[in-house]
Amino acid sequence: MAHIGIVGSGNVGANAAFFIAEKGVADVQLYDIQEGLSTGKALDMMEAAPIRGYMTKISGTDRKDVLLQSDIIMITAGKVREPGMKREDLFEANRPIIEDMADSLKGSAAKVIVVTEPVDLLTALFVKRSGMNRRQVMGLGGMLDSTRLRYLIAHEMKVSFENVSALVIGRHGSSMIALPEYSSVSGIPVTRLLPAEVLEQLVASTRNAGDLIVEMAQRASAYYGPSAAAADLAEAIYRDTRRVLSVSTMLDGEFDVKGVAMSLPSVIGRNGVEQIMKPHLNAQQVGLFQKSAKDLAAILGA
Amino acid sequence: MSKVSVIGAGNVGATAVYYIAEKNIAEIVMVDVVPGLPQSKSVDFLHAAPLRGYNVDIVGTNDYAQIRDSDVVVLTAGVARKPGMDRMDLLRTNVGIAKAAAQAIATYAPNAVVIAVSNPLDVIAMVCLRETGFALKKVIGMAGILDSARLQYFIAEKLNVWPGDVMAMVLGGHGDEMVPVPRYTTVGGFPLTELLPEDEIEQLVARTRKGGGEIVSYLKKGSAYYAPGASVAKMVEAVVKDERRLVAASAYLRGEYGYNDVFLGVPLLLGRNGVEKIIHLELSPSEKQALDNSAHAVEEGVRTLSGIYTPG
Repeated sequence: MAHIGIVGSGNVGANAAFFIAEKGVADVQLYDIQEGLSTGKALDMMEAAPIRGYMTKISGTDRKDVLLQSDIIMITAGKVREPGMKREDLFEANRPIIEDMADSLKGSAAKVIVVTEPVDLLTALFVKRSGMNRRQVMGLGGMLDSTRLRYLIAHEMKVSFENVSALVIGRHGSSMIALPEYSSVSGIPVTRLLPAEVLEQLVASTRNAGDLIVEMAQRASAYYGPSAAAADLAEAIYRDTRRVLSVSTMLDGEFDVKGVAMSLPSVIGRNGVEQIMKPHLNAQQVGLFQKSAKDLAAILGA
Repeated sequence: MSKVSVIGAGNVGATAVYYIAEKNIAEIVMVDVVPGLPQSKSVDFLHAAPLRGYNVDIVGTNDYAQIRDSDVVVLTAGVARKPGMDRMDLLRTNVGIAKAAAQAIATYAPNAVVIAVSNPLDVIAMVCLRETGFALKKVIGMAGILDSARLQYFIAEKLNVWPGDVMAMVLGGHGDEMVPVPRYTTVGGFPLTELLPEDEIEQLVARTRKGGGEIVSYLKKGSAYYAPGASVAKMVEAVVKDERRLVAASAYLRGEYGYNDVFLGVPLLLGRNGVEKIIHLELSPSEKQALDNSAHAVEEGVRTLSGIYTPG
């Protein structure tokens, strides 16, 4: 049994396995409904091990029941967007995958990372359907948006992104809420370093970053950024690093929102979401957060 | 900073770009004829940069002019065989792609070291050499590192040791006639022949020969790209950092090992100028025989080439 199991061996799943191996985090196993795909990609990655020098083991399986015994289960399977599609357009298509996983994992102690889009809707669906503790289930949302904003700020200012931190919360995608007050370069808030209109542009670019890649690639969506983020999240759980990451969590009263999942900065450790941190939001930001919640609830309830 | 260009933004090309980026040794340009494809992947790579910690420019483009003044150009472009397409059609298509790419390399990056990756590798390398008119040492084919890595992994798996402790040497053409040399294959310095019985070594060697095919049989659509991408990056690093690393790679031979006017996998020192030196290994009669067979297979491929290719 591997420590980290990945459902779906497409671009995001396979690259997440690869990033986890390169970090030397833990043994990884891939699973896919397409027979052989997981074993083939895992073998290819192991054949790179002598060159890359990692000692972690990557394997593939065609058995879902084996995969689901992993400590951490990352769900990446599902359809990806085509140009012009919104993330929520994938909800009905990908919902059966999540429901199937939720049914299989009822009562499990595993920590679950949802990467499949639309991530906030599917994270909420997973928690409701599986009955698992909300802390065990994390959606990959805000931390990917945060990373993209980090990159854009660093690129704009021509500084190393190691000096840049950024925080994006709320619903993943076009309704995300960037918090410039919580984004800084070596501790200096970006609001003091960049004019408001430039910042607004960077935030707009972050909002459309995923769409842009889908438009350019035509038949694919982003996978390096998402899989690198997913690997970081898996590492934080497995190694109990207690990193603060913006992940999508089923909300239970945060900013008066309940029953839907959205991203908030959270301390991530071996139990999953160890603690949700509440940033100070102004009235407009709270309004946006609650508006997104209402929109998500409408789709979920339907 | 050095500049590395990768032609072809498919799985092998993109994965190579990623591995090169992680090494932080060069700015990178990725070229592909498909509009949007190299651009989308380069943006995605940059988004992952804050997480992975590399800090180099990565440009995706459809314009060959962007490879200008590259120190290294890697050619991964080519099509995979589609149903109904025979081997000659495939060869004709990929040779055409290589020809156009090589002419662009000669125009825009006249001082580059060229690493050929597209298959049939040893034939494509010949096209690159003829079309660029570059010095012989400047054109190299990527094969031996990959074949060696596969053998290393199979040995590591068999002995249950860390893959990084296994050194292997695979010579010859990049195909079923490749020539793994167990005598020059070691685990922590111990010759493999002291650690495993002959029949077991033979099994690992046989699996290595079919290594690429094994992956294809699992994936059904598509072929390997992680190990090939990692192999490319290793070679690029050796050139950019002038490491004079001893690797197996496909080089143009003029009498070495008794062969002439053919690209064949041999041990060589890889550095700033490409092939810094071809290393002569003493081969047993049976090893030499195997290398002969491999060389003949490659020569056969080049002969086929003359029917469909005229230097531009």
